[in-house]
Amino acid sequence: MAKQKILIANRGEIAIRIMEACEELGIETVVVYTKEDEASEHVQRVLREPSKSKRAYCISSYKDPNEIFSVCDEAGCTAIHPGYGFFSENFRFARRAALRSRPVTFIGPRWEVIRDLGSKINTKRVAKSLNIPVIPGSSTPIYNEMEAEALAEELFFIQKEQGIKHPSILVKASAGGGGMGIEEVRELDAFRQTYRRIQNYARRQFGDEGVLIEQCLTDYHHLEVQILASRHDEYVHFGTRNCTIQSTGRQKRIEVAPGFDPKMVNYPFKATKVLNDIVEHSLKLARHVKYDSVGTWEWIVTRQGHPYLLEVNTRIQVENGISARISRVRGLGQPNLIKEQIRCALGDELGYSQEDISFEGTSIELRIVAEDTKRGFAPWCGTITELRFPQYEWATVHTHVPTDRPYKIPTEYDPNLALAIIWGPTSQDAIDRAKEFIDNTVINGYGPRGESIITNLPYLRERLNACLRFE
Amino acid sequence: MIDVNLNALLRQYRSNPYEELHIETPHTGIITFNVKVGDLVKGPSGAWKERPGTTLFTLEREGNVKKITAERDGEVSFVRDEVDGEFCEAREHVVTIRHRLSKDEIINFILRKVLYVFEAPETARYYLVPELEAVRDQKKEITLSPGDDFLIMSLMKRDTFLKYEGPKGTVFRLYFKPGDIVEQGEPLVGIASPEDLDIVDKIIQRIQSEWED
Amino acid sequence: MQDTSHVLTQLLERAQYLGDIKNDPTWRGLDEVVERIKELKDSFYDIPEKQLIREIERIEDRVHFLEDRVAENITPMERVNIVRSTHRFTLMDILENVYDSYTELGGEGECNLDPAVVVARAVISRFVKNKIYSHQVMVIGHEKGKGEEFRNGGSAKPWGNDKALRYMKVAETEGIPIHFYVFTPGAFPIEDYPGAAQQIARNLYAMTKLKVPMVSFISEGGSGGAEAIGLSDFRLMASHGYYSVISPEGAAAIEGKIKEGEKVPKELIEHCAKELKITAEDNLRLGTIDRIVQEPPLGARRNDFAFFRRLRYEMIRATDEVVLKTKSFRAFRAYALRRKKEEGKDVPDEFDVVVNWNLNGLEKERLLEARSKKYRRMGLRFLKEGRPILPVIKKAKEALSRGYYEIRYGLLKHHKKSVKQLIDDVSSEGAAMLKTFTDPVLSVYEFMFLEPKKRRRVVKQDHSPLHSVFTQDWEQYTSPLSNEDRTVTCPNAQKYGCVDLWVPDLYGEFAGVCPTCGHHFPLEYQWYINNLFDKGSVKEFNQHLASSNPLGFKGFDTRLKRDARRTKRNSAMITFDAEIMGLKVVVAMLIGSFRNGTVGTVEGEKFVRACDRAQTTKRPFLCYVHTTGGIRIHEGTLGVIQMPKCTMAVREYIDSGGLYIVVYDNNSYAGPVASFLGCSPYQFAIRSSRIGFAGPRVIRETSGTDVPPDYHSARNALKRGHIQGIWDRRMFRKNLLEALLRMGGPKLYYR
Repeated sequence: MAKQKILIANRGEIAIRIMEACEELGIETVVVYTKEDEASEHVQRVLREPSKSKRAYCISSYKDPNEIFSVCDEAGCTAIHPGYGFFSENFRFARRAALRSRPVTFIGPRWEVIRDLGSKINTKRVAKSLNIPVIPGSSTPIYNEMEAEALAEELFFIQKEQGIKHPSILVKASAGGGGMGIEEVRELDAFRQTYRRIQNYARRQFGDEGVLIEQCLTDYHHLEVQILASRHDEYVHFGTRNCTIQSTGRQKRIEVAPGFDPKMVNYPFKATKVLNDIVEHSLKLARHVKYDSVGTWEWIVTRQGHPYLLEVNTRIQVENGISARISRVRGLGQPNLIKEQIRCALGDELGYSQEDISFEGTSIELRIVAEDTKRGFAPWCGTITELRFPQYEWATVHTHVPTDRPYKIPTEYDPNLALAIIWGPTSQDAIDRAKEFIDNTVINGYGPRGESIITNLPYLRERLNACLRFE
Repeated sequence: MIDVNLNALLRQYRSNPYEELHIETPHTGIITFNVKVGDLVKGPSGAWKERPGTTLFTLEREGNVKKITAERDGEVSFVRDEVDGEFCEAREHVVTIRHRLSKDEIINFILRKVLYVFEAPETARYYLVPELEAVRDQKKEITLSPGDDFLIMSLMKRDTFLKYEGPKGTVFRLYFKPGDIVEQGEPLVGIASPEDLDIVDKIIQRIQSEWED
Repeated sequence: MQDTSHVLTQLLERAQYLGDIKNDPTWRGLDEVVERIKELKDSFYDIPEKQLIREIERIEDRVHFLEDRVAENITPMERVNIVRSTHRFTLMDILENVYDSYTELGGEGECNLDPAVVVARAVISRFVKNKIYSHQVMVIGHEKGKGEEFRNGGSAKPWGNDKALRYMKVAETEGIPIHFYVFTPGAFPIEDYPGAAQQIARNLYAMTKLKVPMVSFISEGGSGGAEAIGLSDFRLMASHGYYSVISPEGAAAIEGKIKEGEKVPKELIEHCAKELKITAEDNLRLGTIDRIVQEPPLGARRNDFAFFRRLRYEMIRATDEVVLKTKSFRAFRAYALRRKKEEGKDVPDEFDVVVNWNLNGLEKERLLEARSKKYRRMGLRFLKEGRPILPVIKKAKEALSRGYYEIRYGLLKHHKKSVKQLIDDVSSEGAAMLKTFTDPVLSVYEFMFLEPKKRRRVVKQDHSPLHSVFTQDWEQYTSPLSNEDRTVTCPNAQKYGCVDLWVPDLYGEFAGVCPTCGHHFPLEYQWYINNLFDKGSVKEFNQHLASSNPLGFKGFDTRLKRDARRTKRNSAMITFDAEIMGLKVVVAMLIGSFRNGTVGTVEGEKFVRACDRAQTTKRPFLCYVHTTGGIRIHEGTLGVIQMPKCTMAVREYIDSGGLYIVVYDNNSYAGPVASFLGCSPYQFAIRSSRIGFAGPRVIRETSGTDVPPDYHSARNALKRGHIQGIWDRRMFRKNLLEALLRMGGPKLYYR
């Protein structure tokens, strides 16, 4: 392999994790940062290390692709790791990396795959053709009111058949996203009005009046399947995760691997079979699209045990650590998924197959955030003066917050402080250990008016009891 | 009521009627300077500021050569010559312009001491609420009463409406560009109450007549 | 003594007039003569009478001598100066001296909607066998005034032209002829409602079919402004007047690429005045006017009563001829012959017949037919037809195809059903239409136009089996602009914070639209041909018609050739048949890459033929303006008459039931907008385009005021009611189809 140099186009803890993975692989890295982030550990760490060449570049914004490519060329990088967020699922960025006059490797799937799986409608259409269950509803945008009403009627009928007490459907603008232009309809009579409203909104907002209609699911668990594939037709999975515990803004707060634990919880359905099904379905789709990187297949599992494929995240995820924590690869031990992702992107073969992977115990990730969970998860900003985590051999902490000096949280970004990954031989053990970890964590700081810091630690401790359970 | 020592303020500005404007690179790229120390530069001109100011330097990034122009008149007092033709990072200080304060700017500075100034409660991006933005677009006066929603504070990807708390009055000055980051404690808007309007007018008139550009 | 003063005043005027003509008050010691006259005027009481008379005689001889020198050879530029002189006769002089009595309508003097446009009901009379016969006429014209500011030099405001139109309609209602008097340097280039260009277009559109005889007389014919009241059945021109596409100064500034504020060399202005072929004789030769009204050797002034007598005679004669032509061709021939015999002689005191200027229904039809023929033929002599078709065969072909379409559409009504079907389908097919732009596009990087560029090129994608499994392959046109690996800055970046755009993204997937603010970057016209119409449906016709240099404008041939080589086209107009979702349309496209989309004889003729084709085939007619810089100045008034000519074709197409849609893109200015484009009832603009009469520089130079940078923006055009909507380029196809179906009604087109 030619000498590689990777530009890390991200910030915070993921930048540090990528840096560490590269160090282990013996690959040089370059980081970028904005003025507001100057004090962040991902920058300071690089600046501390002696280096022959410049390794940290100040840019105007993490969201400007031109800045990333500009630094990439200047620093002589051969590949870009997008982390999560920012450019990780931006097929145009990946396409530009591949097609520019000085091509660089995008560490992620091929851009065509990012684009195709990035479209929920596309994903749904193909999944349907492979007999993978998807949320009942339209698989193409609807432009015709008659067609829309017929579908709405059918969806209400299906729900009644299933014995759902309060059936409802969602009407959304097909060109929309991020919760914009979505409305719930609880009775068929109200449908037409809502449909027209959304259609008008879509036309005004996106210049495309296409509308999607699907069943509204209310009582479900949010599960994920961790897939890894190489450019050599190798496909493996690292089990499932349960990410049901989320903030009101649909931000994940606690994740657990594996997705269900029938030993601890009594489920009204065959949990092991559901987990196996969603893994098999996910692999089927991955093979079909010739997936070639790490990726997460998101599923919804209802209280009745019906799984539906939601979408595919074509990137490394925050919570990749818990899947790695419960996995064992023969001859390799615990895998590092970021390392595996980089290896695959650079063209390596996996070197192992599914039979070489086994699972052990339960792992929980806690997302420690400076936020006021009692006031709608409002972000808190201020200065951290003390950040201390207990040391356990069953706990790992990822943070970009420096522990040796005060740190002002930049107001431009989410106030994430740290990720804690806890492992236990059983689910109950893991939950107990997580509580113990929280009890021994110390975070101090002050706000702009001198008030003391607010974090979500009490919330996390309380919500741990809900792990893996239908409430 | 307004209480201000106008004479002292004017004396202070008379002794040093200059402001140093530090120009930073807006983004990365290869820099080429178009000015040298001692050059006089002009800000944007035309009735609609449609003619850009003097080009200070160009930045070439990804095959795009961008002109960075002066925002205000003045004399170039510093150029970081050693980076000419080199790759620059974002937000590096590369040029300084010594700008002689105009009458309007003096009035602005003094009004900031005279008006009721609403300061940024947090370091964040600020916007006027859409209704007021529309009023401003029509170049009409904005009147505020206590309890009015008047600003949007964009912080941590969340938008918060700010309520106006202060005397009822007219917005005299906006001190920020909508969408820019404003440091905590920096002024956002200057408001004059109806009873103070006369005094404000008098101050403006006095500076108008006494200050010579 | 009173007399002496009067004589001196007249002498002074004569001397100053010579200075006006030469545009040089010091020419051959004129200034000294003027000085001397002024001195005498101030002091003639102090000088002995004999000496005074001698002195006056001496001066008179001198002035007379100079007048003869000037009259020997009056250059085209000097004609322009004559027309601009305050000594020249104006419309008010004509009203006083040519007509017996008049009443001003729509304002008087300064108290006026637009003092630059004068409208009057007037009476004109003739002697026949010692008896007076009077005719009622409507007089409409420009009033330059005697230097009064409020007359605006005869430059009509948009509402002035609107006033003119209103009284044209009054004349039509009352059935009286209209006499137009054109004394304008050009229309006042402002966009305020009703808008300079749009109002001229409305006037032209109405005048093409106004059911009364119209005679126009041109003294100063400044391009579009002249056309607003210039379209008529008979066009007279003053022998010392000028009729031009642009002022010689304006042409010189363009030809010499003179920057704003810089001085235009005098020689260049004179050269342009000559090359533009602006004199009465030139225009008669070009066929853009019908007859010249002879003026005295130095041009008619305010007190040239003999000239007014001639003008009255010529106006009556022209109106007679127009009227007689509609009544009986034999009577017309006899009349015309008799009058012809009189030519060259003094104006006769009497007419030998009275002609009744009222027309009956049939005669009105003949009048309109003759007018249509007149304009459709105008300037055609100068058309270079690359592949001539024998006129008889062509006519037979036309008749044949007309018969075919009449049967197809008139009797079988077969299409009705299929159209109904189409409307039913269209709502669900909206999805399919959108796909082209909203769905992921597979072959964005398969470039159609591989032109070598020295800059960084993007890497071409190899066709590995690793492709998308979702989208089916569809071939799509991609702009050749997208071949470079570089970024560009959106002009709105300051305002909306748009991130620099990667060129292959911008000109490929984004169709030249900034995803942040929606700004439209210009795209080449080929993009529209490929993306707007059904694949393979575009079939060009009249490709053989090539732009030429009918005036022999010096140096223009090489520039034409250069553009032809560069664009691989031979005119700025492309006309073709095409289909949109199977819906057949005829399209005329003005392209900016050829002579900046200016319209000359060939462009106009191609437009007219496309319009007629749409009429015979009973199809909707779309005119897409990629860019137009106006009328091609190098074709002089042959270019200007494309305005009434093309408007005539449009009017006849629309009157026959056709659906005419205009879509503007990039920059659309001047003549074409002020005629055959601006008269469409359905005009739309692509986002970020500019529409107007004159650019900011011309506005600054004529009105002395600055206009805001967005003065001509599509948004403002929409605000002013000039256009009916702004379309996003990516939605062009969908919007166009919807417009065709909606405006065309259930039968699609043809009422």
